[in-house]
Amino acid sequence: MQRTLRRNKALVTAAAYALLAVLVFPYLVMLLVAFKSKAEVYSIPPTFLPINWTLSNFVDIWSKVPLADYLLNTLTISGGATVLTLLCAIPAGYVLARMRFAGKRFYLYLIVVTQMFSPIVLLVGLFREIQWFGLMDSVWGLVLTNAAFNQAFAVWILSGYFATIPYELEQAAWLDGCTKWQALRRVTLPLALPGIITTVIFVFIAAWNEFAVALTFITTETNKPLTVGIYAFFGMYDVQWQYVFATSLVAIVPVVILFLCIEKYLISGLTAGGVKH
Amino acid sequence: MNMHNGAAAAEPKPAGGRRTRRRLRLAGGLAPYLWLAPSLLLIILVTIFPIFELFSTALSKVSLSGVKKGYVGLQNFSNVLRDPVFWGVLKNTLIWTVGVVGISTVLSLGIAQLLNQEFPGRRLVRSALIVPWAVSLIITSVIWRWILDYHYGALNLILQKLHLIDQNIYWLASPATSFPAMIGVGIFVTIPFTSFLFLAGLQAIPGELYESAGVDGANGWSKFVHVTLPMLRQPLMISTVLNTIYVFNSFPIIWSMTKGEPVNQTDTIITYLYKLAFVAHKMGDAAAVSVISFLLLLLFSVAYIGLVMRRE
Repeated sequence: MQRTLRRNKALVTAAAYALLAVLVFPYLVMLLVAFKSKAEVYSIPPTFLPINWTLSNFVDIWSKVPLADYLLNTLTISGGATVLTLLCAIPAGYVLARMRFAGKRFYLYLIVVTQMFSPIVLLVGLFREIQWFGLMDSVWGLVLTNAAFNQAFAVWILSGYFATIPYELEQAAWLDGCTKWQALRRVTLPLALPGIITTVIFVFIAAWNEFAVALTFITTETNKPLTVGIYAFFGMYDVQWQYVFATSLVAIVPVVILFLCIEKYLISGLTAGGVKH
Repeated sequence: MNMHNGAAAAEPKPAGGRRTRRRLRLAGGLAPYLWLAPSLLLIILVTIFPIFELFSTALSKVSLSGVKKGYVGLQNFSNVLRDPVFWGVLKNTLIWTVGVVGISTVLSLGIAQLLNQEFPGRRLVRSALIVPWAVSLIITSVIWRWILDYHYGALNLILQKLHLIDQNIYWLASPATSFPAMIGVGIFVTIPFTSFLFLAGLQAIPGELYESAGVDGANGWSKFVHVTLPMLRQPLMISTVLNTIYVFNSFPIIWSMTKGEPVNQTDTIITYLYKLAFVAHKMGDAAAVSVISFLLLLLFSVAYIGLVMRRE
């Protein structure tokens, strides 16, 4: 195997860099367009690199659309959904990993079923409920829906992670006089931190990127999140691509950095949640 | 789906003696349900309730303004099923789901193997693989729409420069090119999650297995078939189910690239039902389509869970 590896090393490297090129290509195109003037974007023949690099798009977008509002809304939705998801999923994940009880299987089926509904399949029903709660056109409606639709995934990762932490540690803490709650808080939760971080970032990013529900429920311009907001640049007859991509960059950079931060947790998180050793 | 595995693995061991065991039994009363309550409440509120609402809408006559006007039995369903557009859309959905999930799975198997090798710059390539996963689907799709643009898009530019085409191609105008292009974008965004899942699986395979297979004279391919694939069985099943659900339910790619045009020829069930509900305001028909698509996914999932249960 070692010999084959060495012989194929050049091939492996070449294939990996080809993959890299394909993965990066669209985002490179986005980056370049964001630095072009409108005239250059719509010039024939088209060019890859900007002839005159300009930063004006990044200045203009703040006044062309309520970008600060978009950003704040997206932050509220992602942050709120993440907190709500954790508040619900940590106890559920813990109890699933630690206790036996009647109806456990029923709950597991229930969250598998919720996983099968995309928000879009439910939009018709959800629409009426959001209306009924008076949460139409409000970011709090999106906090609620995002938290609910990420519940299954969060519980899945967390219970997988809790299950890898030896129960004996908690039992030892009980014997030392801790209550159940103290044992959980002081022993189990700190040990489950990688799982919790993975969950936080997954949910945060999923909510940050959510589009369909926001598109349907938010109508006021200043209540829109970024993903829906960029559509403001799609006019009836032409698209302001330089603004679309400058705004997209603003939306992308925070999540890509977040995601890169958990790269090392990503594999262990997926392993704990999904793959049995 | 896998949670009961994890849970079973951590079943409280009787190591703590009688005292611990009694505590456990005491805690087994109402307590588990209290721990579960917030999660359950959220799920019931935001998913179970709309499911009921959905079924009741599907069986009602609904006015254009969205007011229910009483029970009409299966009339909405028969409206939908009699419409030839629905059957075209269903066919598209099948091609879309099977195409994206199937091709992504095969490519991801290769990519996971590739990224499991040592080579200079591996960290960089792995990080790049995360990008399409982290970026909003809507943004990635919008970028691809621009790349495929007839006049200004990078794809026509590249193909012209390479002298592969003389005339620009209207990629997104005809279903013959736009649908495969969208499947390509679907694959592009599905590969990261799938590859990482497989990569996690590959890293859990003990190296001795390959060594002993090597001793038995297995070459690269037969190692893949006899060691790698069986060991990746679980990640393969998880990725197939989750990807099928995600891809079937996918909305932003098609919505931002063609909106299902021309005349519903590139719609999948999801974009079709969105248009029925929020463009044509036929809530009853849209609810019927939602119920049908839910039943399709349920059928798939029950078959899957059945498969897993049988294995265990």
